[in-house]
Amino acid sequence: MYAIRRWWDKNGVRVGLLLLAIGGVWVIRQTQGSMLFELYRSLLLPFTPRTAPADPVADARTRELQQQIIELQSQNQQLQELLGYVQKRSGPNVVAPVIGRSADYWWQQITIGRGSRDGVAVGSIVSGNGGVIGRVVQVTPSTSRVLLISDPTSQVGVVVSRSRSMGFVRGQSANRVVMEFFDKVPDVRAGDVVATSAYSQLFPPGLPLGVVESVNLNKSPAPEAVVALSAPVSHLEWVIVSPNPKAESNNLLLEPQTDVQTEPQSQAVGDRLFAQAGSIDPGPGR
Amino acid sequence: MTLDILRWHPYARQGLSWAVTVLSVLACLLILPTRLPGMELLSVGPNWLLIWVVAWSVKRTAFQGALAGLLLGMLQDAMTAPEPTHAISLAIVGVLTARLQKQRYVQEEFISIALIVFGMAVVAETIIALQFSWISLTQPDLPNRTLTEIWTYHQRIALSSAILSSLWAPAIYYPLNRWWSWMQSFEQPSN
Repeated sequence: MYAIRRWWDKNGVRVGLLLLAIGGVWVIRQTQGSMLFELYRSLLLPFTPRTAPADPVADARTRELQQQIIELQSQNQQLQELLGYVQKRSGPNVVAPVIGRSADYWWQQITIGRGSRDGVAVGSIVSGNGGVIGRVVQVTPSTSRVLLISDPTSQVGVVVSRSRSMGFVRGQSANRVVMEFFDKVPDVRAGDVVATSAYSQLFPPGLPLGVVESVNLNKSPAPEAVVALSAPVSHLEWVIVSPNPKAESNNLLLEPQTDVQTEPQSQAVGDRLFAQAGSIDPGPGR
Repeated sequence: MTLDILRWHPYARQGLSWAVTVLSVLACLLILPTRLPGMELLSVGPNWLLIWVVAWSVKRTAFQGALAGLLLGMLQDAMTAPEPTHAISLAIVGVLTARLQKQRYVQEEFISIALIVFGMAVVAETIIALQFSWISLTQPDLPNRTLTEIWTYHQRIALSSAILSSLWAPAIYYPLNRWWSWMQSFEQPSN
């Protein structure tokens, strides 16, 4: 008894501090470091510009084209409504500053300075100047973490805009993704625009992604093309976060997310993403 | 100042020592998502947590080193993704650093720290790459890098992170080592 007492007198504080440290680390781990990211953002706040810079490339010609797109989009919307093809209208976009990159070098993630307080939800689509770049995988009250398309663990169903050849892209590094086709002989050539396809369950269809850089039709098991992302993924400063109608209608966290329906192994693909999203924010049903 | 701390209760002093230690970990964690200009090589920066673990374990037991590596690895997991875990790699770094008989090789402290950090950064990235390989071998259905991609990427990361970490190691090691040895000097006469 006396020996235990003496040991405790000598090491009690140390044991207590150790337990405190383990408990603290465990809490931080279970909350996916949300406290850390909140602290990080508040420290960085004085250095973050308040308003997004005015678009430098928006000249008269671009504005004209943008207006044409809006016109065509609304026409398209009307025609789809006539056909009974109902698509939920997406809510307002949020412009967010990029405040950090991934905390290690094996992952391609960014941290942005807007969170659930500004209406960002898990599954929201993030796009940069030029095209879609990723989706939100974790939100805290005022920051969110974005898994970029260029990360090797993210797969997106895509389509070649010109020929409608289907496939999916997987990230490679910095600014390149590799597109694998479902067809053996796809109609594709360098310079084609690639957009998200209707089969993707994580992204709404028709978002521009990038431009085909080179094609390798002899690649087995499926032909491949290297796609250069149109958004400058490696030096983003501002991004646009838009709500994801698919995430809302599918209830992203309750169903296993198969990203590409026609892909036989897609169940596992989705499960990986599912596991990630699930461990980050256990939804109400889990 | 010194006399003041000498008059403190040992518990209060220990608390202060721990508070400073925790704050230094926090500083390392908060610097992880930044990409400060001049700190990058091939878009890879120093591995701050690894430097911290080496600084901690160099004059401690293997058990203490493993524990620190485990805790800091879990913190880094919280900031990236839980799988593959950084806890294993940092814990192994802690054990290896504590077991090293560094006095036998190089006398100059900073140089030996830089060398240890260089070696340990390679070890840590290799363990992460092994975990990635294991995942891609056992679960080939998951979207992931192929084995060749993993190991080419590993070369790039391991080399850049080792160079930068060893160059930045004194920035963490020096103040922390001063602080811990200062605290140690108070513990000695009282016990």
